[in-house]
Amino acid sequence: MIDQIGDGVPAGPIRRVVTLAPDVTELAFAVGAGHLVVAVPHAADFPPEAVGLPRVAPNDAEAVLALRPDLVLATTAGNDPRVVQRLRQLGTRVCSMDVTSFARLAGACRLAGEVLGLQAQGERLAREVEERSERATVRARVLPRRDALYVVWWEPLIVAAPGTFHDDLLRRAGLSNLVPGSAGRYPRVDPELLLSPRLEVAVVPDERDLREGFARAVGSPAGARLASGAVRVIWLAADIANRPGPRLPAALEALVAAREAAERRASGVVDPGSVPPPTPEKQTPTNQRRST
Amino acid sequence: MTRGADLALVAVLLLAAAAALVFGGPAASPGEALAALSGSGSPEVRTIVLGLRLPRLALALVVGAALALAGAALQALLSNPLADPFLLGISGGGAAAATAAYVVLPAAALGVVPAAAMAGAAAATGLVWWMARGPLGPSSTRMILAGVAVNAATSAAILTMLALAPSPRLPGVIAVTMGSLASASLGQVGWLAPYVLVPAFVLLLHGRDLGLLATGEESAAALGVEVATVRRRVFLAAAALCGGAVAFAGVIGFVGLVTPHLCRLVWGGSTRRLLPRAALAGATLTVLGDLLARRVLAPAELPVGVVTALLGVPFFVALLRRSA
Repeated sequence: MIDQIGDGVPAGPIRRVVTLAPDVTELAFAVGAGHLVVAVPHAADFPPEAVGLPRVAPNDAEAVLALRPDLVLATTAGNDPRVVQRLRQLGTRVCSMDVTSFARLAGACRLAGEVLGLQAQGERLAREVEERSERATVRARVLPRRDALYVVWWEPLIVAAPGTFHDDLLRRAGLSNLVPGSAGRYPRVDPELLLSPRLEVAVVPDERDLREGFARAVGSPAGARLASGAVRVIWLAADIANRPGPRLPAALEALVAAREAAERRASGVVDPGSVPPPTPEKQTPTNQRRST
Repeated sequence: MTRGADLALVAVLLLAAAAALVFGGPAASPGEALAALSGSGSPEVRTIVLGLRLPRLALALVVGAALALAGAALQALLSNPLADPFLLGISGGGAAAATAAYVVLPAAALGVVPAAAMAGAAAATGLVWWMARGPLGPSSTRMILAGVAVNAATSAAILTMLALAPSPRLPGVIAVTMGSLASASLGQVGWLAPYVLVPAFVLLLHGRDLGLLATGEESAAALGVEVATVRRRVFLAAAALCGGAVAFAGVIGFVGLVTPHLCRLVWGGSTRRLLPRAALAGATLTVLGDLLARRVLAPAELPVGVVTALLGVPFFVALLRRSA
């Protein structure tokens, strides 16, 4: 088997799994291998069965080795590749996920099922990811295409660029990323971009720091269009929107639902400029729980 | 020749400033920016040019001038061509305190980061002065060694905080440590400009004394320079300039170190005349560096310190080779 960064994963029985990031923790549980997981990273808070498990620092190769795992599930979305490589060099079986789109998320589901000896569950989960994301994508096709940013941080302004699963999230929701792919995956960008007349939607993970950063941004000259409502801000539950895991389709569904509601409101008034969304509304996905 | 070079420097500064306003960012075209500057254009573009680009330009001017002036003064004061606010740990102190504030404080309180940076720079200045003191006051060699030690300690502290910082905070911490003018506002400039005026005036006032000190402490004392007093005033003034710059722009390397050398290589001449030229050249370099940082990969931004180094080093090396 070959993982998503092109490294081989030796076959063999799996009894002890250590996960190094919340997204792969969710993946292991979603394919039905939760009973094999012996340790999870400190940030893993879903599903509830994972919360009571022993914790391991993802950057501490010694601590990971001490858990005698048969398989380590890692991700390119946050794990230090040197630590992952070191574990591999020391003979640990490692499977790295590199989810940069919904298609690769489905691939990660299949790969997890295959590596864990749960092919049927992996395939079922992959199909569910594909079907849910495709349904949401089809719903979004009737919406007007609008230029958008996925904001990772307000000050400095950091956004997702093409080549990331966040960009795929925007694209599938009928939004065009204002940032070109030449700038790197998550570039720091000129705050002037917030004043671009092209910018119509900002998608933001809903967490306290970003809410407070938004409040500061709205009060700054760069935030004039945010404050006036010319840029519609859509907040997505951070734990589903920031993790390239099996709950990511819920983030897409929530984004499309928020867009549909916004477009309905906009079409119901004579002057679109009078739509008053300076106070951002939190969009709660209808299904934030496990996708299985 | 010297007068021509002075005029050329002023002309380049004015051109760089105009270019920063016209070509500064991704959201308004040069034509729209020119219209906004002439009083017409849409309110949105006027906000972009006057509300974002103008404060950013003003901050770049003040920060660049402050860093270069501080560097020129410290090089003369310590008779060391490598002396600058970084070597002496002043920038490091500011950056470490700003990083600590960024890591520890709740997001709602991040407005105090500049104050923390200034306090950190002041603390590092005091520490260097205290470590370097001796029976005859702090000597140049001891000040540099103390600065190296403080710099190493602050670097270690910053790296430790980077390793421990919660991941959502890392972008902000990196912006502090790598330097950025992106959050400039007229309020910041309005606060910083008067703050740097006093230490800048102190340094310009002591230009002749610094020129004599650069030839050696004993000969300067023999010619009537009150070495201990001048050293204390110049060091504190340079530290204040640097603290102000770090507070609002983070750590922007290279400007304080190399700009004075560039000016010496172009103009030669006395330290007294070097100081205002270094301030102008530092402001020019920082404005150009920030403009390129914004435009090269627009709308992505490069760290401004990287660009000032890339701009200045080839020019510096060419001049160095020519003078050799």
